[in-house]
Amino acid sequence: MGQTLTEKILSRVMQRPVSAGETIYPEPDLVTVHDWYVVNFDKALQELGVDRLYDADKVLIATDHEPIALNVLSSERQRNMRKIAQKYGIKRFFDNGRGGHGHVFPMELGYVTPGMFVLAYDTHVTNYGAVGALGIPMITEITDVLACGSVWIRIPETIRVNLTGKLPAGITMRDISQKLTVDQDAELVDYCTVEFGGPALKDISVDQRMTLCNTPLEIGAKSAIVEPDQVVLDWLSPRVSRKIELVKSDRDAHYKQVFQYDLGILEPQVAAPPRPDNVVGISAVAGTQIHQAFIGSCANGSLSDMRDAARILKGRKIDAGVRLIITPATQEIWARAAAEGLIEVFAEAGALLTAPGCGPCAGGRIGAMAPGEVSINTGTRNDPGRLGTTEGQIYLASPLTVAASAVAGRITDPRQFL
Amino acid sequence: MDFIYQGRCWKFGDNLAVDADLTKKEFATQRELRLEVLREYCMVGVDPEFAKKAKPRDIIVAGKRFAQGNPHIQGLLGIRGLELGLVVESIPRGSFRNAINAGLPFITRAHGVTQECETGDELRVNFETGLFENLTRGTRREYQPLDKALLETIAMGGWKPAIAKRIAEMKLQRRVPA
Repeated sequence: MGQTLTEKILSRVMQRPVSAGETIYPEPDLVTVHDWYVVNFDKALQELGVDRLYDADKVLIATDHEPIALNVLSSERQRNMRKIAQKYGIKRFFDNGRGGHGHVFPMELGYVTPGMFVLAYDTHVTNYGAVGALGIPMITEITDVLACGSVWIRIPETIRVNLTGKLPAGITMRDISQKLTVDQDAELVDYCTVEFGGPALKDISVDQRMTLCNTPLEIGAKSAIVEPDQVVLDWLSPRVSRKIELVKSDRDAHYKQVFQYDLGILEPQVAAPPRPDNVVGISAVAGTQIHQAFIGSCANGSLSDMRDAARILKGRKIDAGVRLIITPATQEIWARAAAEGLIEVFAEAGALLTAPGCGPCAGGRIGAMAPGEVSINTGTRNDPGRLGTTEGQIYLASPLTVAASAVAGRITDPRQFL
Repeated sequence: MDFIYQGRCWKFGDNLAVDADLTKKEFATQRELRLEVLREYCMVGVDPEFAKKAKPRDIIVAGKRFAQGNPHIQGLLGIRGLELGLVVESIPRGSFRNAINAGLPFITRAHGVTQECETGDELRVNFETGLFENLTRGTRREYQPLDKALLETIAMGGWKPAIAKRIAEMKLQRRVPA
C-alpha cells in the first residue's frame, strides 16, 4: 500500500517504511525555539544535567514573541537569550531585527524545503506545510529533542482535503480556513495531519498556504501540509541553491478520510469570542463596534496580506475610535511592502506599524486591549486574554475584513469597499 | 510494573475539562506538580468527594474528549496520584501526551466503553493487552492497548524518570558528552 506525505517524510527520517499509528523517535531536520522559551529550556537542561545540545547545528532560535524589548525585564531576558545561544553554540540565532516570525522567515531563507521534518516548541510550526514540510509542535518536550535528538511521536493518520473552485471577490484564504475549521468534526481531526491538494492549488500562493496550514491546529490537528507543486518550486528556487525534490503522497495512500472543499463560499467568515472554532458568516456580527484592530501574526502577516490591507486602506482613513496595528511577519515582508508603497498607504490611513514578529497576538505584550474593549484581528486565537486583558472580546477575520472594519469602526463586510 | 488493574468502576460522561473538572483550575497556573497534593483534588469539579472514595487500582471510565482543554498535566497527575487506571473513548492530543508523561496507565479509543459498565461494577483491565473485563456483568471486550514504547515510559513512572534514563544511557554510549 502507498504512503501519505506524512508517512513518506517520516519513513525517510527513520530510514525504514513506517505507517500511521506507530510510535517512533524520529530525529528532525530542524528544531525551532522561540525567544520566550529559551531561558526555560536552558533551566530544564541544567536540571537534567545536560550541558551540550544533541545537535546545535539543527537548532534555530527566533526572536518574534517579543521582537523589541519593552522594559528592563525583557531586555534582561533578551541578554540571557544571547548568552544561552552562545553557550550552546547555536549559530542560527536570530536576534532583534533579524528574520522576524519564526514560523515564516525560515522558509524565506530556504531553511525549510519540501519533505523536511521539523519539530518546534511553538504550536503554529504547521505553517511550514506551506512548502510541503512537516512541522510538529512539541511545547515543553522540545527539551527532550534538544538533549537527546528526538522525542516520541505517534505517526498521525491523514485527512485529505481536495480544494476545488476559485476564491470569490472579497473572500480570502483566511475565510476558507476558518470555515473549514467549523465544518470539520474536531473528533475526526484530532491527532491527524490535514493534507491539502486538489485542482485549486495551482492558484494558491505560498503566502495563502501558510494561512491554510495555520488554522487546523485550533481544532486539534497534529499538523497540516500542502502537497508541494510548481508554485512551491517557483517560490523557493531563488531562495535555495540545492536541488529541491517534490515529495508527494502516493496515489494509493491510505487516508482516514478524503473530501472535497469548494473555495466558492458565500460570505467572509468571522470567529466570534471565545474560541477560534466559533465561526459565523460576517452578516451575523456585522455592525459590532470595535476599538482595536490588528493585521499580522503567523496566520496573516505575509506580503499578500499586507497587499490586501492596503487595497482597503488606500485613500481611506481609519475610524477615529479605532487603532489599527499592522505587523509584517518578517523583515523581508516589511522591506518588500515598503518597496511596493504599502507602508506609505498604512501611515497615511493612520495605522501603526510594529516590529516584525507575532505583534499583539503573543499575549498582548505589544498593543494590548483594555478591559471592555473589542478587537477584530487576524491573530491565531481569540481566547480571553490573548490580547492582554481577559475582559475583552476578540473577533478573528481576514485582513480585508479587519481593514474594512477599522475604517468603518464596526465589523464590516469588506466587499462594500472593493 | 503490574499492568493488570482490578477495582471499582467510576464512570463519567463526555468532554470532561482537564482544568475545571479533573482538578482545581489554579494548579495549572501555580505549576503544582506534587502527586500528594494533586491526588486530593482528583476529579474535584465533578465529584468533590472522589479522592476520599476511590481506592488504588480502581478504574475511571469516561466518554469522548476526556481531559479536553488547554493541555495542562495537573489533572492527569491527580489520577496517577491515586494510582487509578483510565479507560476512555477518546482523549485529545495534548492530554494524550500528558497522560503518558504523568505515568498514568490508560486505554483510549475504547469505543462504546461507557455502555459496558456502571459506577460500582467490579472491573479488571489489562493495560498491556487491552483486555477489559466487567466481573459484575461477566462481560469482556478487547481494545487496542498503547504501543510498547509508551507503556515502557508509563512503567518507568512517566516523563521525568524516562528522560533521566535516556540521558544516562546516551552518556554511557558517549552520544552526549558526559
